[in-house]
Amino acid sequence: MFDQLAEIITNYVEVKKEDIKPESRFMEDLGFSSFDFMSMLGEVEDTFDVEIEQEEAAGIRTVQEAVEYLEKIS
Amino acid sequence: MVEMSSTIRELLVKAAEKYGPQDAIRYKVKREGKNGKRETVVEAKTYSQLKDDSERFSAAIKELGEQGSHVAIVGDTSYGWIVSFYGTVNGGNVAVPLDANLQAEDLCELIDRADATVLVFDKARAAMAQMSVEKCPKLKHRITTESAQTAGDLPAGTLFFEEVIAGQEPGFSFEPKPEDLSTIMYTSGTTGKSKGVMLTHRNQAENATAQDMGFESGMVLLSVLPIHHAYCLSMDVLKGASLGSVLCINDSLLRVLKNIKLFEPNIILMVPLMIETFAKKLEETDWIPAPLVKAKVFGKQFQTICSGGAYLNPDYIKRFAKYGITIYQGYGMTECAPVISTNSPKEKKDGSIGKCMPNCEVKIVDEELWVKGTSVMQGYYKMPEETAETLVDGWLRTGDLGYVDEDGFLFLTGRKKNLIITPNGENVSPEELENKIGSARLVQEVLVREADGVIEAEIFPDMDYASKKKIKDVEAEIQKIVDEYNEKAPLYKRITSVKLRDTEFEKNTTKKIKRF
Repeated sequence: MFDQLAEIITNYVEVKKEDIKPESRFMEDLGFSSFDFMSMLGEVEDTFDVEIEQEEAAGIRTVQEAVEYLEKIS
Repeated sequence: MVEMSSTIRELLVKAAEKYGPQDAIRYKVKREGKNGKRETVVEAKTYSQLKDDSERFSAAIKELGEQGSHVAIVGDTSYGWIVSFYGTVNGGNVAVPLDANLQAEDLCELIDRADATVLVFDKARAAMAQMSVEKCPKLKHRITTESAQTAGDLPAGTLFFEEVIAGQEPGFSFEPKPEDLSTIMYTSGTTGKSKGVMLTHRNQAENATAQDMGFESGMVLLSVLPIHHAYCLSMDVLKGASLGSVLCINDSLLRVLKNIKLFEPNIILMVPLMIETFAKKLEETDWIPAPLVKAKVFGKQFQTICSGGAYLNPDYIKRFAKYGITIYQGYGMTECAPVISTNSPKEKKDGSIGKCMPNCEVKIVDEELWVKGTSVMQGYYKMPEETAETLVDGWLRTGDLGYVDEDGFLFLTGRKKNLIITPNGENVSPEELENKIGSARLVQEVLVREADGVIEAEIFPDMDYASKKKIKDVEAEIQKIVDEYNEKAPLYKRITSVKLRDTEFEKNTTKKIKRF
């Protein structure tokens, strides 16, 4: 799960896959804007075949939190 | 060619006569597929269905004994929301569209302050509806747009939109007068208490139909802005209907790109923040020929972005032109239903917010823009003092500073209430400085303000860009941008304090930076 997510992240921001850590924060460390982040979650939905609630997504700050959320809903 | 309507009823009846069997609204629905898996399909409603259902809604409100009352509508954009809006205003009632992203307490406070007796709400607002039982004693009826199977825990006596509609016949006849109140819209209020802007049928219908943008009928629109917002309601919903457009509902900001591929829109109304994100998306692929990128991201059919709600750097207009996409920058405020001026295919000028709408006129008083005409509100609901401060002999004081050039195009220079008065009495408009600093590629967001007697800029750098360009010392690079600006700026407009931040600024629901 983490690996696949890291792969998707590299399509949206200029970071190397190996630099993405579970504790990396999307906005502060990886450089996402709020709208970039939303757009990436759209792609995540397709890849993992899940449905993400916008309200819940707003609470996700780190890559680890995203992984936990995705494991919960898939 | 656009035909002007003076009531929302007239606008909808004409649309149903002209475009009856054509699709008015398209939206996604999830359902159980053949193999037991949930699948998403697109459903549509025609102009005839929209008119009929809205008349059924008007009849239902009358049957509840509530004709002439205030109906609060809270929820994400949906067919039910749009039918409730038309049904309310065309049945002799007043709609109170509220910001669905507000906290439950704030929504209850506004429902109560607006004297609403009927509340229409969607699934995500069920807890708020529960709270309203205690906090909104004037509410007599609650209607949910959700179906009985999925609605969750609801207050006792809640009615279901589908049943409310099914229990009535279309053909409800009531002709609102142009001067009748149709809507009370609460300003987003980044400062102070939000105010209820009172708009009549004429205010809204003429704002939506007075200007001929030269758009063809039957265009496909993707509606991505919050529907309670005056710009979305007037342009996407009302103007869209007057042109027989197909309004496609974007179900989530998560899925804008996906929904662009699904609905294949010709036009999208956006706020500048979205335009900036899309610009980045296009730029990432600048090694691929422009027409291919455009076809991949937006589809071949996509031609137009209308921008409003905040200042847009004219540089973006040029960047999108490369991809064959035209951005028309407009300007308005809720108090003017909301559009005051806009660029159009026939008349446009870079850096300008366009020409004044044909149903309005503007004048400049001490640099401030004043507007008069049939879009101007009746006043703020139950706030006579605030109304008297804002409306002067029929003129609306916009609070925005600007000028009109020799060709009649409007230009904005700043916001009166944001003005920084320097210690030696000179006025500095922070927006003017923000626009200059913000045009540097390394600056993602900037806020200029007064701090301890000097002008300070707080900057959120674009770290993505910094790493792409291998900029190591971002702070020094930002300081260089400010120094370059300072060199050309008059002494009193110089920025003497620079602060960097590592997160985006907090925004209100219309994506404007919260200034205070």
